[in-house]
Amino acid sequence: MTLHDFTDLRLDDLDRDGALRQAADDLEPTSRAGFLTIVAGGAAAAAALVRPSIASAALARTDVAILNYALTLEYLQDAFYTEAERKGALSGPTARLAGVVGAVERAHVKALRDVLGKQAVKRPFFDFRGVTEDPAGFTRTAVAFEDLGTAAYKGQAHRIKSPEVLAAAVGIHSVEARHAAWIRYIAGVPPAAEPFDQPKTVKETLQLVRATRFVVARPRTRSKRRPRFTG
Amino acid sequence: MRRQATRRFLLSAAVAAVAAGASLAALAATGGPGVPGADIGPASAPGSKLAPPADPVLNVPRPQPLRTSRYETTWATMKRPTPVRAAPRQAAPVVGHLARRTPEGTTNIALALDRAEDRQGSLWIRVRIPALPNNTTGWVPRSTLGGYGVVRTRLVVDLSERRLTLFRGSKRIFRAPIGVGTEEFPTPTGDFYVRNKLTQYRNAFYGPLAFGTSARSETLTDWPDGGFVGIHGTNQPGLIPGRVSHGCIRLRNEAIVRLARLLPIGTPLRIRA
Repeated sequence: MTLHDFTDLRLDDLDRDGALRQAADDLEPTSRAGFLTIVAGGAAAAAALVRPSIASAALARTDVAILNYALTLEYLQDAFYTEAERKGALSGPTARLAGVVGAVERAHVKALRDVLGKQAVKRPFFDFRGVTEDPAGFTRTAVAFEDLGTAAYKGQAHRIKSPEVLAAAVGIHSVEARHAAWIRYIAGVPPAAEPFDQPKTVKETLQLVRATRFVVARPRTRSKRRPRFTG
Repeated sequence: MRRQATRRFLLSAAVAAVAAGASLAALAATGGPGVPGADIGPASAPGSKLAPPADPVLNVPRPQPLRTSRYETTWATMKRPTPVRAAPRQAAPVVGHLARRTPEGTTNIALALDRAEDRQGSLWIRVRIPALPNNTTGWVPRSTLGGYGVVRTRLVVDLSERRLTLFRGSKRIFRAPIGVGTEEFPTPTGDFYVRNKLTQYRNAFYGPLAFGTSARSETLTDWPDGGFVGIHGTNQPGLIPGRVSHGCIRLRNEAIVRLARLLPIGTPLRIRA
């Protein structure tokens, strides 16, 4: 099964906490005629985490949704590269890429979480199904992820209200494009195959993410059942 | 093939760089392409400046290399029930079974210790399992496991000293006196792990909360649900420390509540004599 074989979108499978659904709802072009304005981070605690120049500024609700959408994709990439590096099954240029790109994706996650504060969506639980331990599978997946990340950022550019958020998104978008070129080169496919890159909508992006079946329900490790241990 | 591709890639990059350089040189020489309202040089009209770039809302920190530690332990969720085999191949003898759920109804987990590929190229993972004899490990196909979790904590129970110690990395972060199994029903020794947490069950005997472990009593084998050893509170704090239990590890209630704030599921547990 490839990333492109999947057509049946069920957002609930991706979004056990409902936060991504809220983000996606906010990003539907017809769902919000006007954009409510809320304070970034939702509270003074969050404001303390953002840069002084924008700490007191308001972020449009759409911008918060877009940042959370970006954060979800960054969580996916962060977890993927970090697990691959931990497992140690890669070697040579692929291992080097996993280390460098993983560090960058972790930095993106930290930056997005800092600016979103309490409004940041929760980190999902991932099952990479052995791909992080299989060099060929890792390379194919990394190409798909980086192409997807680049297209997803581009797909939201026109909806961003704040120039500061747009500047941040464009800054990350070009880094994702560099990652895409790097892993494509390693995979032996043209780093820049097309003269024009098409954006991807939220729906298209989530379809592809779900197709991977990498985002799974968080394991249930707590119970209220009465213990029957030996005592 | 790869060398050809490399050459083509470098050649394209060189051509692009030369073209970009030439364009920049042309711009510098002419003072810009003459976009109305653009201020790109001293020749532009005053009062028609472009706005400066916006200050990005994000403060992206410098990327940091992954910090791994020898104290890291990986656990995996069980995606489906599976026999556990003595070697990483389908024909190897079965040494145990892993269920999808624990007797307490939580997602079953196993510690992932090693990996190997069989002749068909399928990935196998060596896991520690909650089975008798204690300390059993074996191999399961990667496809039977779900996502991985990572912890940096480890729990050490010293039976002779009646003491439980929790470490995070190399640092000790918790220590408490404990009650352990009697001579008749001893607490098993070896390497195990913490696999679930039970709360709000309202049974004073087990205190306010309990952790399930992969350790099993070697004497109470017909105990309901398999005779698993728990780490829990108590309604008889005066018996701690002591050899007072049927194999479980008992803490005073205030100690188990403090431990619960520090102890993640998947933490390896070493019980030594």
